[in-house]
Order: sequence, then C-alpha cells, then structure tokens
Amino acid sequence: MEFIIIITVLLVAVIMAIITNKRSRVIEVSSFVASSIVLIEAFAIAFKVVKLGSYGFLPFFVVDELGALLIMVVACVGLAVVIYSGQYLKLEVAKNIIGFTRFKEFFVLLNLFLLAMFVAVSSNSPIFAWISIEATTLSTAFLISFYNKPSTVEAAWKYLVINSVGLLIGFMGTLLYFTASLTDGGVGLITWQGLLSGAAVMNPLVTKFAFILVLVGYGTKVGFFPMHTWKPDAYSKSPAPIGALFSGALLPVAFLIILKFKVITDVVVGPEFSRYLLMSFGLLSILFSAFIMVITKNYKRLLAYSSIENAGVMALGFGLGGLGVVAAIIHLLYHSLVKAALFLLSGNLLIKFHSAKISNVKGAIAVIPITSILLFTGFFAITGAPPFGMFFTKLMIFSVGITTHPNFIIIALLATALLFVGFFKHIISMIFGEKPSEIKKEPENFWLIFPPLLLLTVVLILSFYQPAFLKVLINNAASHY
Amino acid sequence: MNIVFLQFLLGVLFLTIIFLHLSKKNSNSVLAYGLQSLVMALIMFDSFLVTPNFQLLLVIMVIVIVKVVLAPVFFMKLLKQHQLTFLVNSYLNIPLTLITLTVLTAVAHSTKLSPLTTIIPNHQSLLALALAAMLVSVFLIINRKGALSQALGILSLENSLVVFGVFAGLEQSPILQIGVIFDILIWLVIATVFISMIYKHFGSLDTSLMKNLRD
Repeated sequence: MEFIIIITVLLVAVIMAIITNKRSRVIEVSSFVASSIVLIEAFAIAFKVVKLGSYGFLPFFVVDELGALLIMVVACVGLAVVIYSGQYLKLEVAKNIIGFTRFKEFFVLLNLFLLAMFVAVSSNSPIFAWISIEATTLSTAFLISFYNKPSTVEAAWKYLVINSVGLLIGFMGTLLYFTASLTDGGVGLITWQGLLSGAAVMNPLVTKFAFILVLVGYGTKVGFFPMHTWKPDAYSKSPAPIGALFSGALLPVAFLIILKFKVITDVVVGPEFSRYLLMSFGLLSILFSAFIMVITKNYKRLLAYSSIENAGVMALGFGLGGLGVVAAIIHLLYHSLVKAALFLLSGNLLIKFHSAKISNVKGAIAVIPITSILLFTGFFAITGAPPFGMFFTKLMIFSVGITTHPNFIIIALLATALLFVGFFKHIISMIFGEKPSEIKKEPENFWLIFPPLLLLTVVLILSFYQPAFLKVLINNAASHY
Repeated sequence: MNIVFLQFLLGVLFLTIIFLHLSKKNSNSVLAYGLQSLVMALIMFDSFLVTPNFQLLLVIMVIVIVKVVLAPVFFMKLLKQHQLTFLVNSYLNIPLTLITLTVLTAVAHSTKLSPLTTIIPNHQSLLALALAAMLVSVFLIINRKGALSQALGILSLENSLVVFGVFAGLEQSPILQIGVIFDILIWLVIATVFISMIYKHFGSLDTSLMKNLRD
C-alpha cells in the first residue's frame, strides 16, 4: 500500500504543477505535502522491512534492507530539496532569471525525477529498474538545461550522450544475465530473486562480461572514473537543488543496482571478481578526484568531484567486503545527506555572489554567516574529519583494507589527505578574506537555511546515535551485499 | 527465413553503420538510419514468423512507425528547416576511421569475446557481427563531431543491441521488448528537443563548437 501512496502523491504533485496557473504557492505546497507523505511512507516501509526482512506490494515492488535505507534517504533529500527549491526559484523569478512557466516545469520534472528513483529502488525486476534509471535521464536532462543557456544545453547534451551510451551498455549487461540463465529459449519478466535462483545454471564467463558491462553502464550514472566526465558539468550547470538530488539520491540508487547484480555475480563466479573490479574503480575514482579537486576553480564542480571521491570510497568498502560493507553502507547514507546539504548551500553562495567561480567568492562569513558556518561544517563532514560519522566510516574501510590490500589503502589514504588539503584551501578562500565591496550583507532567508541545517543536524545526530531500527537495517543489508 | 538471409540482413545493418561513418550528407545518413531500422524490424519479424507472439508483433509495429517512418521524417524536416545539407566532420580522417573500424570488427570476432558470441552456438557469426555493429556504433558516437551523427550513433547502438538480443535468443522475451519500446520513446523525445536546442544556441550542430563548459 505504501508504494501506491508514494507513487500516487508524487503523480498528484506533478498534475498539480501542470494544471496550476499563476499560483506558485499551490505548486510549492502540493509538492511539499507530497514529499512529506512520501517521507512518512518511507519510514513505514523501513519499519515493515525491519519486521519482515523484506517488504513488497504486488510482484512488481519489493524492497530489501538496503532498498529501505535508500528509500528513506531519497525521501529525506527529496523533502529538503522541495522546501529549498520553492524559495530558491521564487528569488530567481523575482530577478527575472526564470518565468512562472519554468517554475512549473521545475516542479513537474523534480517530482517525476523522485518518482523514477523510488520505482528504481523498489522495482522487483532488473528491466524495470533499468527503465526507471533511464527515465531519470529524461527528466534530469531537462533540469540540467533548465536555464536554457548555451552552457546548460551543452552540459545537458554531454550528459545525455554519455549516460545514454552508459545505460545501453548497462542494458546489454542486463540482457547477458538473462541469456546466461536461458533454459527454454525465452524468459518472462524475471525478478531479482528469479535471477539469483537461476544463478547456478549461468555461464561464468558470460556472467563476468555481464557484470563488467553493468558496472560500466550503471557506473556511468554513479560517476566512477573514467565514466564521470558528464558529472562536473551537469552538477555545475543545473540548479543547485538538482545537484543535491543528483549526488544525494541518484548516485546511491544507481549504486544499488550495481550491488544487486554483484550479489548474482558472486554466486556464479565467486566474490573475488566483483570485489577487485569495485576496488579498482573505487581507487581510481578517489585518486582522480583528489588531484583534480586541488586545481578546480568552480565550487559546484568541487562538490561534483567530491561525489566521485565518495563513490570511490563506497566502492572500496563494498569491494573489501566484511566490515567494509557495513562502513560503505553507512558512508553512503552520510554522504547523501551531507552532499545534498552542501549543494543547497552552494545555491546560497550563488544567489549572493552571482558566480560559481571560487575566485569570485570571498569573505562569505561576513555576508552570509549562517551559510558559511554550515558550509564549513559540511566540509569537515564530507572530507571525513572527526567527530562526523564519515570519519569513522572511512577509518573502518581503511582499517579493513590495510591488512588485506595495503597497497590500495595506502594510495587511497594519500589521495584522501591531498583531497582534504585541496578542498580546505578552496573553502578557506571562499569563507574568509575581504568581501567584495558591491556585495552587501542582508538577513539570510530562513527557508534557504533550514533544509541544509536539517540535513546536517540529522548527520551529526546519526554520527553519535543510530536508532535500533536503523542498525538492524544496516547490519542486515551488509549481510546480503 | 533461413540463416543466410538473416546474415544478409545483418550485413546490411552493419554496412549502414559503416556508411554513417563515411557519409558526407546529412540526408543520406538519415536515410541509411531508416534502412537500418527497417532491417532490424525485418529481423524481428523473422522471429515472429517462427514463433507468433502478439507482443512481439506490437513491438515490430512500433519500431516501423517510430524508427522507420517518424524519426527519419522528423530528421529530414529538421535538416530542411535549418538547411543543414552537410554533415559535420569527424575527429579522425577517413583512412584512420577505416583502420579503427577494421580493428573493432576484428575484436568483435576475436576469441577473447567468444563467450558472448557463443551464447547460441549456431548463431556465432551473427552474434559476432551484431557485436561488431555495437562497437562500431559506439565509435561513431565518439568520432563524429555533429550532434545529429551522435544521435544516429546512439540509435544505431540501440538497433545493434536489439539485434544482438534477438540472435541471443531473447526475441520472445518481454524484457527486450519493453526495453526497446521505452528506449525508442526516450530518444525520440531527446532527439526532437535537444537537436533543435543545440541549433538554436550554437547556430550549428557541430558539438566541437561547444566550449562553454571550461572553468
């Protein structure tokens, strides 16, 4: 029932945005109500999963422990983004950057994007999961080109081409899993469980190829190096709230699909194959982003590279196995919340300084002090500084790996240190220093502060205290992946 | 239809992608794509003749209407509207392009990829050629500078993938059918909107002129 409510309220929000004329408040409120209901239902699903192990509705929707965690994350980030977007876009309407039609379009696409992500997480069939991820491409392409400028159209086209090729490669991988389990010349709408139970008869070589294709295909959406090239452009050109959803919601959802295929692959060819692939992609992503973050000149791109790095850390954790998987799952949760908050805060910087260039932002603490403090807090959280939870998750992943794969971990540690220094340098230069004379200090808009504050507070609380139901979900999810 | 005829059809499909690499005129490329889609529909129709299946017939009809008729007509209108007679250049010149195409085709037929081409042992040569068509399509997307060529490259990759699925024994599967229909829908919307947007903003479909994303 919860799935139907989630789908229905999001569709109602889409319809409200389409049919409403001239009243932005109606669109805002309907989206807010929808996202709030979705969050409540997400928790309801999580509690049912804790109780039953997995929870489904009809044969099409089944959620396991990791799925339940991701549904909560997507709902949480979604609600924060909806609250923030209303105010953010109103300011842009007031400045004549966009008109009311664009405001409407934004909420239509935003709710469709959220809907596609919920379906991708809860879909019981690999093919419907693929279709849902493909649907996110369509809605997000229009959100990247939202400002209808040459640079945004260019970023959207790049995103479309790279992601379409990636997803077709992922589709090819998915087909190979089906061919690998062919027994009677044709298959129906095979579920994840069906695929897993047929793993015994799969051809190991075909399965290896299939997993590589799936990893490359969905890894393009996750943003692993070297398939990441669309990411900095798309993140920096799309409206700030969409960057938050890209990094906080789409990244883990695409990761989940890879992990579901990993489970099947591990049954067919043993765990070592997928582990080494994940660890290699993870390490390369950490290494690449660490170097590029030092020299990047745009703070939204900086956050995009940080997402690539964190995707790498998660891949490393999942690749290492054991406690590394527990740490990777917790890292995934923290990253989604912190990165979403940072993207929303980057929107505040953009509103005030009218530029995404790091060199054009100086003395932010004097102009927007609350945003600056939150940005500083978010920086420490995302780079894995104590006392934030990401310090402990990174520590746990590196501790697990140092005995089994010391070379990987030493390189990752050095890269993480470099990344911290690079990120710190940029943050310091933006927050402190002499503010430009033309930028005046004004009271900060509560609704632009509240959503990131809420997300960071949740992360801080979760860093010290995890409710019992969350612990059960994390531990059970780790035992499956 | 016998296997020799299927081989012929697949050969035609492969050659249309090679033609897309070499073509200089936009209209010829669009026609080649239309022919390629028709060939794909015929290959699927052969499967329908072997095992009649209403869903498959529906998919074939959608492919014919959208890929063989609507998409080429739309592209032709777009070309006329903006008077885009000639294709934008490629990154590699013709000799280097041909060498790369040869290498990719050889790779698809190599023993390294034999696990993929021997999924159905009787279809080994067909699967190898379908795989070659996929690799060559990916190269088309990378090598061409024009947005139209890149879109045609993605659509060709989609066609090659479907044909691979058919010869891999998935033609009767709803998985392939649903995936194909959804992908067609998505790319029709994308191609319709974005190619026009690119022309509007850049006055050309040359993606190498897009240089707004540097820091």
